[in-house]
Amino acid sequence: MEFAFSQEQDMLRDSVSRYLEKNYDFDTRQALVRSDDPWSQDVWTQFAELGLLALPFSEEKGGLGGSISDCVAFAESFGKHLVVEPYTYAIMLAGAALEASDTDLAGEWIEKLATGEAIAAFAYEEGAGTSTPDMIGTTAVATGDGYSLTGEKKLVIAGAEADALIVAARIGEDGPVGLLLVDKDAPGLTVSAYTTIDGRSAAKVRLDGVTVDAAGVLVEDASEALKGILASAIIVQSAEAVGAMGALMAITGEYSLTRKQFGKPIAMFQTVAHRLADMKIAYTKALSTLTYTTALANSGAATPRDISVLKGQIGKLGREIGEAAIQTHGGVGMTDELNVSHYHKRLLAYDAQLGDHSYHLRALGQL
Amino acid sequence: MNVDFSPELEAFRAEVAEFFATAPTPAIREAGRKTTSVFAPFKECMEWHNILFQKGWVAPHWPVEFGGTGWSVEQRFIFAEEYRKADLPPLLPQSLGMVGPLLIDLGTKEQQEKYLPGILNGDDFWAQGYSEPGAGSDLASLSCRAEPDGDDYIINGSKIWTTYAHHANRMFMLVRTSNEGKKQQGITFLLLDRMDYPGMEVRPIYGLDGFPEQCEVFFENVRVPQAGRVGEENEGWTVAKHLLKHERGGSAASPTLMRYSERARSAASQTPSPFGGMMADDPVFQSEIGALEASIASLSHMEKLAIAGHPISRDPAFPSMNKTINSEVLQDISTLMARLSGVDGLARQVEALRVGSNVEPLGSEFDLIAMPLYLNSRAASIYAGSNEVQRDLIARSVAMGA
Repeated sequence: MEFAFSQEQDMLRDSVSRYLEKNYDFDTRQALVRSDDPWSQDVWTQFAELGLLALPFSEEKGGLGGSISDCVAFAESFGKHLVVEPYTYAIMLAGAALEASDTDLAGEWIEKLATGEAIAAFAYEEGAGTSTPDMIGTTAVATGDGYSLTGEKKLVIAGAEADALIVAARIGEDGPVGLLLVDKDAPGLTVSAYTTIDGRSAAKVRLDGVTVDAAGVLVEDASEALKGILASAIIVQSAEAVGAMGALMAITGEYSLTRKQFGKPIAMFQTVAHRLADMKIAYTKALSTLTYTTALANSGAATPRDISVLKGQIGKLGREIGEAAIQTHGGVGMTDELNVSHYHKRLLAYDAQLGDHSYHLRALGQL
Repeated sequence: MNVDFSPELEAFRAEVAEFFATAPTPAIREAGRKTTSVFAPFKECMEWHNILFQKGWVAPHWPVEFGGTGWSVEQRFIFAEEYRKADLPPLLPQSLGMVGPLLIDLGTKEQQEKYLPGILNGDDFWAQGYSEPGAGSDLASLSCRAEPDGDDYIINGSKIWTTYAHHANRMFMLVRTSNEGKKQQGITFLLLDRMDYPGMEVRPIYGLDGFPEQCEVFFENVRVPQAGRVGEENEGWTVAKHLLKHERGGSAASPTLMRYSERARSAASQTPSPFGGMMADDPVFQSEIGALEASIASLSHMEKLAIAGHPISRDPAFPSMNKTINSEVLQDISTLMARLSGVDGLARQVEALRVGSNVEPLGSEFDLIAMPLYLNSRAASIYAGSNEVQRDLIARSVAMGA
């Protein structure tokens, strides 16, 4: 058993962390969220130059053949800086769906994603009930040499900016869930852009008889592939969450020593001190579960149970830490001006996406 | 001991329901449905305040001679239940619930005559100037200063978390008039006739839900008449403690919480469960909402006992217990609502929530309000004395047998 990052991973972690420390402070991030830009193209280009966009793709497809632990190594700093760039959704989900396909078209898109030349979005979440791919309601009905897609995707990160959408749809009435590539200009596609509570650009996407020809069918039966794709994305997103949780704990600890009431720092009051202790206990559980699950996944041994443990714990513990941070800060924790509430909203979003903690913890009980 | 279920009460319920079905304008109804805070959208809320005033129903909890309704406990609750069923905007608490009752109890006759009519008809809206940047849970350490000068005071300092100060035309506040003795002893309670005195500046603070609900208020040599003082100079802490009873107790909040639970149940009946069927049929959801509704029921029992004057409500810790339970149940029900909403609640929809914006929400009305309500409700365990401070007070009453 080995849980430490390798020397190369530490170097990658350091260079991403240094870059974000220098270029992604909270004020810069807030200015970006308030601007008309969905995210920073400069930052995305820098991610490409650091090799992050190519990292998870296999070498034969033009990637760097990175492992899941390579991605976890730097993802924590994404959470710490509350990045709004769509790494997990464009690379870990849409990219991984393309990687799972043997088609030429998929290969071409991977090249474009890995260099930052194009963006692909993962059109998966349909709202309540999409905690599991079994609940996908979007349908792909066979027409001629391809399929006609109908359904609604509620939360597609980068959906309005993407050059292509990777759509999860049920093939036939009771068929398996497949993955299909839809061009952004496809007739029948309606994309309504919005900003999420945690500052990311997203879209609601309606598909009304969108035609996909045979070449656009990436994976016809993606039941197995999706498990792995979702598991990897959950691990990377959990690393981001742990980064956010660690930052919140540090910020709250510092505040509790500087804020004085009744003549002493509030950290000296037992009720506050115990809440700080509970934050640390929650953070330590989350970091341990993330680290162990990453190591399991690196060895190809992470089971659905392990992934549900991770997603359930991160969702639940992240909420606990966020709520404790706001309560400890009092009124200022409720403001838009301070970063505390933004961390909490990011943690809430992580919990809601890809199955919330109540789903995963109950699924665990059923296994 | 009895609870009244007489036919007269059902007639009363029908009368109230009929009024709520016909009196509010469409904008007032929209404001009610889009309320995601204790504080409803201001403009429509005050319009509704005036309609209720015209009807004579604006202050059911006030003594009849001052404009109250003289209703029984049963009637009070029927009114509150029908109010929430109709999803109408709750009236703002600062005027009717705080400074009004305070003036009835402790104000001079002149103050009552000057201020109570405007509070009742809604011409005036009062901001509450208590907290300061350095004085939150430790309110008595406040430092915003008032120096006597002839018939006036000259105020310097600042207040924070003054809800809706940017909408207010009057303000009640605590100021420091002495640094002698214990810090509680040098505080004075003042009524301000205006919010636009020279040297006074109000700055809204945007909250995590995207709305400017709270404010900062700055004072630079602001001259106000001493006639606005309630109680004696340096005895404002006693006045404030009296008012806190109104802020934390004597409430009828449980119907609001019950209405949220109903809205959660209704959303759950249309939300598919990842385990098959609808969330409303999901045993986990059922057990969570069941436990919550039991908590709401117990709170409603406390509230009814309090309004009926039961000795339990004279326990010095009762207002603190009421506030703690109310705030935590609100947080629990709004958490459940936001979780039900799931990814549908992740869209930031500040414009769609604005009354009269005519912006279509991305999803259902439930999805529109669940997340902002959850976010806003995080403040419930912070404002009006944080729950940590409330628990200290409650614990003291147990340990000291008070």
